[in-house]
Amino acid sequence: MTIRMFKVAFIFGVFFVFAYPTMAESLTKPGGFPKRTVTVMITVGTAGGSGQLARAWGAAMEKVTGTGFQVISKPGGGGLAAIPDFMNRPADGYTILLQTDNLISAGAANKIDYAVGKDIIPLCVVQTTFNQIYIRPDETRFSDWKSFVAYSKANAGKVSMGNIAREGSMERILANAMQKAAGIKVKQISFDKPANRYGALLGGHVDILFEQPGDVKKFLKAKKMKPILTFLPNRPEAFSGVTSLTDAGMPDVPSLMKTRVLWVRKGVSEERKSYLEKACAIAFKSEEFQGFNKKKYMHIGRSFYNAPDAQGLIMEMIATYRSNYKKMGLIK
Amino acid sequence: MENFFSALQAFISDPIGIMYFFAALFGGLIFGSIPGLSTITLAAIVLPFTALMEPLHAIMVFAVMYVSGCYGGAVTAILFNIPGSPNNAPTVFDGYPMTLKGESGKAIGAAIMCSAIGGVASVILMMIATGPIANWALKAFGPPEIFALIFFGLIIVGSVGAKSPWKGWLSVSIGLMLATIGVDPAVGETRFDFGSSFLMGGIGFVPLVLGFFAVSEILVQGHRIAAGMRLPPKIGVDFPSLIEFWKLKVAMIRSIFLGFFAGILPGIGAILAAFLSYSVAVRLSNKPEKFGTGELEGVVASESANNAATGAAMIPLLALGLPGGALTAVMMGAFEIHGLEPGPLVFATNIDLIWGVFVAMLIANLAIFVLGYMETKTIVHLLRVPFSFLGPSIILISTIGAYALRNTILDVWVMFIAGFAGYFLRRWNYSMAGIVIGAILGKLGESAFVKSMQILDYNYFNFFERPICAVLLSLALASVLVGGLRIAWSEKTSFVKGLLDR
Repeated sequence: MTIRMFKVAFIFGVFFVFAYPTMAESLTKPGGFPKRTVTVMITVGTAGGSGQLARAWGAAMEKVTGTGFQVISKPGGGGLAAIPDFMNRPADGYTILLQTDNLISAGAANKIDYAVGKDIIPLCVVQTTFNQIYIRPDETRFSDWKSFVAYSKANAGKVSMGNIAREGSMERILANAMQKAAGIKVKQISFDKPANRYGALLGGHVDILFEQPGDVKKFLKAKKMKPILTFLPNRPEAFSGVTSLTDAGMPDVPSLMKTRVLWVRKGVSEERKSYLEKACAIAFKSEEFQGFNKKKYMHIGRSFYNAPDAQGLIMEMIATYRSNYKKMGLIK
Repeated sequence: MENFFSALQAFISDPIGIMYFFAALFGGLIFGSIPGLSTITLAAIVLPFTALMEPLHAIMVFAVMYVSGCYGGAVTAILFNIPGSPNNAPTVFDGYPMTLKGESGKAIGAAIMCSAIGGVASVILMMIATGPIANWALKAFGPPEIFALIFFGLIIVGSVGAKSPWKGWLSVSIGLMLATIGVDPAVGETRFDFGSSFLMGGIGFVPLVLGFFAVSEILVQGHRIAAGMRLPPKIGVDFPSLIEFWKLKVAMIRSIFLGFFAGILPGIGAILAAFLSYSVAVRLSNKPEKFGTGELEGVVASESANNAATGAAMIPLLALGLPGGALTAVMMGAFEIHGLEPGPLVFATNIDLIWGVFVAMLIANLAIFVLGYMETKTIVHLLRVPFSFLGPSIILISTIGAYALRNTILDVWVMFIAGFAGYFLRRWNYSMAGIVIGAILGKLGESAFVKSMQILDYNYFNFFERPICAVLLSLALASVLVGGLRIAWSEKTSFVKGLLDR
């Protein structure tokens, strides 16, 4: 009897040690969903930040759901050409879109035929990051934000900045707000490819660069680029030596963030959406994904927003964009 | 040298690595030689699987695919007048006429030799001076210089493959106009999209290449069969002799340098390299009229340059972390999957991996020579397949290739529209290659032009304050002037001759 009790206790012990954590993390599949591979659609090339994120997140989701997540790339149209294709896919939850603030700003500018937040619904935000201004470390004309502003004022309109091309994008809005607040005039050079943008700073063809730290981490590590301004009200710990918006006397410059969001289209059943939302939260907390996010400096601020919070964040961003677009005369 | 020998030793003693090496070599050869299914398609398919490999194996797979894919595209260019990729487009000008003359073996043999030699030379240059070359190119070539080079390239190559310079430049203009469809590189506004999200994404060059080269070729051949005019290509398995190669040594060395130089510059790569090299060969030849009729030097110029460009294109990626083209961008993804960062630190932190890749690329180029020699004796027998089977097969494969680009049937429509347009344009002696290179370089050129104007304060004359721009733009403008004067002179001469004949 004692031996039998011992065996039962041993079996229960083994069960609790190995199976309980899995049970805690596992989810009930609504109607067996997902039964087949889920497609993650990205709207840019596979090698960039979105492609890397999609693969890392897909791998984490596979562990949570036990189903494959396949990444497909549909580039073009500044990241917007894939949207109609995404919206034409069945509303069954088997296609998830990974898009950035690019979609949010396009929605705010009425550049797409669908309402962001209503027709295209966020599942979760998995990455948010701040922006910085970079210079070459061997730059002799200026070495920090203060000396850069002084140089720019002395050479009005002569200083050039590498930035992305689309007018009305988060990057352009912030750069314009920065110029206004600092009282400087900088030539914004449009680069449609990140590699060319970075190369332009490294090669001396532009004077400063607007970017996110995760994207230029290797150049920072190699001391080929140096940040001089962080677009946050306060200095983050990882960049404690870099001027913040408050330090620079520009507290009114909005802290718009680079945001990567996972979306489903309108019409996906509530139970499937809820399942994906929960799975998203579990995948985000996984060790592998946390490691990935840390490598990209995404751990510094809040990087994850669940569906209701994501919806709130996106609506807030749309309002900010619209207010700026009205000032810029892009919308009425 | 120590790095080289230790990497070579590591390669030889790594059976798993050798297995991946050959898989990538054959994969690149196959995907490179099937129109529409480029090595970029293969790279995108392979990328997720490389996450399971050792970092060296993963990066090596892409590098080897890149090398072998660039050669693979020459085979269909020579045998069927259909380039496997735009890099091989100039190879058709003399490669296919050689096939019609029964010299297909000689043409493929030349393509193999030149691809291998061009590739080996560029890998050696890469081994010697990756860092300094990359830094020089980065500093010397900003957007204005890139624009000047593209402008120069379009002017020089415009006349290639057309009956007259005017028709050549008009062909390039058609390509440039096609390149304006979609989102503009200045402020992100859409142009000529007519409310279509597909057009907003722009016209992809893969459907254009397939349409203008593959579909139009099938239509032309079909027309000739219907009219009873088709001359079936003859099979030839002779390899070019050493004497023939020795005579072309200057062209080969020149093409390697041109290819290497164009390959270093981000985005320019093997396409402009091959076209520039071919055009320069025609211009410097003492028998330019022979080009386009099956001149071996035409194949040599194109294939030496495009393979030399592959090694060079790795330089900005490895030394600076700046991918210059689609395949090197995917390769960067492979680096990042393994937590590696190509760029300034990679030579300090991952020197074994870098030398492993160099050695694999060198061996891949040598393997092309061996495999290619065997292929010369075998693949030419594809010409024995009756056209009634071959034609539809090419259309089928091209359709798959066009669809696979973005998984949309509209790309297939673009391919067929380009094919029918190409059929008529060829009859009227316009240049298919001119249209395709216009469409490809048009996007890059416009992007560089927009940036240049912003940098140069919207003053055209400021281009001439930059020495490289001044030289390239002056040469291009002089070329237009000389070409125009020649046309005017020949028209005047024929007019006078016509009067005298009366």
